[in-house]
Amino acid sequence: MIKKEPFFWITVSCGLVIMAFILIPLIQMLAAPSFSILKETIQDKNVVRSIWLSIYTAGLAALFAFIFGTPLAYILARTSFRGKQLIESIIDLPIVIPHPVVGIAILSVAGKGHWLGQIFNELGIRIMGSVTGIVVVLTFVGLPFYVNAVKNGFESIPPRLENVSRSLGASMFSTFARITFPLAWRSMLIGIIMCSARAISEFGAVVIVAYHPMIAPVLLYERFEAYGLRYSQPVAVWLVSICLILFLVLRILTLRSTERS
Amino acid sequence: MIGIDNVNICLGEFDLRDINLTIEKNEFFILMGPTGAGKTVLLEAIAGLIRVDTGRIAVGGRDVTPLPPEKRGISIVYQDYSLFPHLTVRDNITYGLHFNKINKNEAGKRFDRLVDELDLAHLLHRLPTNLSGGENQRVALARALIVNPQVLLLDEPLSALDPGFREELRKGMKKLHQHTDVTFLMVTHDFSEALSLADRAAVMDKGTIKQVGRMKEIFQKPESTFVADFVGMKNLFAASFHDTKATIDGLEVDLGRSPDNSHGYIAIRPEDIVLSTEKLSSSMRNSFRGKVTDVTDQGLYYEVSITVEGVIFKSLITKSALFDLDMVEGSDICLSFKATAIHTF
Amino acid sequence: MSLWKFRLVYQCYKNKEKKMKRIINCRCVVSLFCAVMIMVPSSLALAEPAGKLVMFHAGSLSVPFDAMEKAFEAKYPNVDLQREASGSQAAARKVSELKKPCDIMASADYKVIDKLLIPGYADVNIRFATNQLVLCYTDKSKFAGEVSANKWYEILQRKGVVWGHSDPNLDPCGYRSLMVLQLAEQYYKLPGLYDKILANRPIENVRPKSVELISLLQTGNMDYAWEYLSVAVQHNLKYIILPYEINLGNYKHDGFYAKAVVKVTGKKPGTFMDMKGGSVTYGITIIKDAPNREAAIAFLKYMLDPLGGLKILKDQGQPPFVPCRIPTEEMKAKVPSELQKLVVVKD
Repeated sequence: MIKKEPFFWITVSCGLVIMAFILIPLIQMLAAPSFSILKETIQDKNVVRSIWLSIYTAGLAALFAFIFGTPLAYILARTSFRGKQLIESIIDLPIVIPHPVVGIAILSVAGKGHWLGQIFNELGIRIMGSVTGIVVVLTFVGLPFYVNAVKNGFESIPPRLENVSRSLGASMFSTFARITFPLAWRSMLIGIIMCSARAISEFGAVVIVAYHPMIAPVLLYERFEAYGLRYSQPVAVWLVSICLILFLVLRILTLRSTERS
Repeated sequence: MIGIDNVNICLGEFDLRDINLTIEKNEFFILMGPTGAGKTVLLEAIAGLIRVDTGRIAVGGRDVTPLPPEKRGISIVYQDYSLFPHLTVRDNITYGLHFNKINKNEAGKRFDRLVDELDLAHLLHRLPTNLSGGENQRVALARALIVNPQVLLLDEPLSALDPGFREELRKGMKKLHQHTDVTFLMVTHDFSEALSLADRAAVMDKGTIKQVGRMKEIFQKPESTFVADFVGMKNLFAASFHDTKATIDGLEVDLGRSPDNSHGYIAIRPEDIVLSTEKLSSSMRNSFRGKVTDVTDQGLYYEVSITVEGVIFKSLITKSALFDLDMVEGSDICLSFKATAIHTF
Repeated sequence: MSLWKFRLVYQCYKNKEKKMKRIINCRCVVSLFCAVMIMVPSSLALAEPAGKLVMFHAGSLSVPFDAMEKAFEAKYPNVDLQREASGSQAAARKVSELKKPCDIMASADYKVIDKLLIPGYADVNIRFATNQLVLCYTDKSKFAGEVSANKWYEILQRKGVVWGHSDPNLDPCGYRSLMVLQLAEQYYKLPGLYDKILANRPIENVRPKSVELISLLQTGNMDYAWEYLSVAVQHNLKYIILPYEINLGNYKHDGFYAKAVVKVTGKKPGTFMDMKGGSVTYGITIIKDAPNREAAIAFLKYMLDPLGGLKILKDQGQPPFVPCRIPTEEMKAKVPSELQKLVVVKD
């Protein structure tokens, strides 16, 4: 593109509009609370507890996505079979379903009205109003992000490398450990970060399944409903700052991997 | 060494049908055919990377059909060499040693021998991304051979290289084969490559094997029009036989022998057709007068088309010969060929 | 001769002209009349309520108000009634703290309006219905076969029973549930009952709105929940009716009800206020500076009508006051004129 041509300036302007669209509300929110109230907020035990809860439940969700999503992503990347597109569409469903619907669906399965819920009850597993329930919800909404990222990663590794490895005597597991994983770990990391970022910001599904214990977005909402902007904005600032850091890390890692290749 | 019995593979786009092949121990066997013939599919089936639907594959007398690739003792070198990009050359070569129980001494000896033979000592600490095509190929060969496979499969290993290099590496591969007792099974679509390297070969087309045999036989005695065309027998004519004569489009040709069938084909290699201005007094049984209808520059030689009573023959002559014969389109010319140069089928 | 002809023609023309003029005149009058007839009703229609009407109300009023909304909008098609349900304190705070624009606020406890909205945001507080608290459950609930008016307080203490109520800070049903428990301790003469029952209710079983507890009951995530009788009936839940002395349903027992006190958050964060037990009385008010006061008054005129909204409440299991009540003459004076006939002074 030649600079100083009208086409160039039009595209730049569109870019500026988008930047402004994203940044103006965020800057306004970040700048609104004073330092003293920010300090006061982070000293509030409830706030710290809910932010910590948000972080570690998102981490657990990413862990489950890693454990169960990796084999699935591998199969989708390496094989083709009838109904593969259907499976891929199903994996994307959690993205499409409205969040409160996700919460209601999980709650309906978790209660004694459903056979699965009855099993949970027998085993003493509680979904409603528990950390378990929160992690279930977050895993549900975060899985597609992990699976898709890792699937792309696997697809970018030529199957021939794995073929050669096997011909040299390595089992499928050894091949995965020595060849596939070292070449794909960066996309797994990206998948984990995307999954956790999505999980940390989830509200609509979690609030239906578990109001208490309170994750940060629910605490934010409760404070907003009860006391208004002044008391909810500082929590928002802390939460957004943490999410921003997560995404920054993601960006840096992706940059490094593209530099490498 | 390799026995392939009635193998059928259905992959949708590439189907292999009724593949029957026997390859002897320590042979340099070549699989030829145009692109899409199914050569790579057959190779990967032997390696165990593709499942066969029916039939059996045996290596060294052992039925390997149910075995996974890692248990077959067959190494494969791909056209793009597929070196592990995250490992150094040294680690690439020694990769297979992790899975084969070989004591350290033996492993070290093998490693040194291969590195020496393939001239890789100065590359050991490099990463594959920085190597040239030829260097890549040699590393891939070392990696494949260090595990002492019974069979080495090579999928067009020279196609990715410059023509100049190819000649050199061809010689290197021949030497390598002679120094080991590994059976080489190589795929190529380049016939001249096959000629210089192979003991025996098979020609494949559209998922079936068209002809198997010694290179010389395939070259001189193709059994079908497809193979004849593939090996460059450009003078291919449908013919009817009676006695020792064959009639092609009204032109009678002396065969010097009586073929079994009454109808078939005759094929003559272009270089077996001799051109002269006057009829030659020689032992060549077939001599015709014709007109030059086309002269095409093929780089190192000329391909000349001559029409004799409506039948078009193609001959190859050197540039100096063309000059001597003072041939242009439309000139009268005499062409002759021996009866023994005519291949019938 | 020609002159005579000319005069004849002229006379004809003149006659025609006159006719025309008469016709034109007639037409003018008729069209003017029609125009007036059209304009008058439309100008009358201009006086009809129209536009957006915003209402914040208690969750337990959702079902009857939904029916009222349909009837009201059928009557006044130009009005769009937009309702937001929540706990009553939450609803009041939307007006007082968040300054959200609102026309009408209806509370499950009239005292919320008194404490949080008057005098800054409202002048009047019309009490329009009553209710009582019941213990709801389903056939999936633990010990559903055993529970009764005699055994409920024992069952709620059993380990493994999941029971809950709404947040007392956001919803009157929440602090009312706690009041029922306090009154039960006094009524059944079992000291320590309140604390023992609450010990079996972890904070995870508390929800901002009492109606959320319904879906938890229906999916089997909760065994027992405290709700208003009207809500239990509307959702086809099983329920236990408690003695009037403790179910906050009869103002005659107000003296006993007053023995229960629950501390809830106050006007500003960090402050608290005491809610004293009293019979469940619903209140409704028009917010000062309501954006659509006209439509608000029209709605109340419909709702407080014994044959209109109050009838719907009755049919839905929520006994209305007929007529609705205002505590003092002073407040009655502030009630809009259109509604004067629908309220009486009674405390």
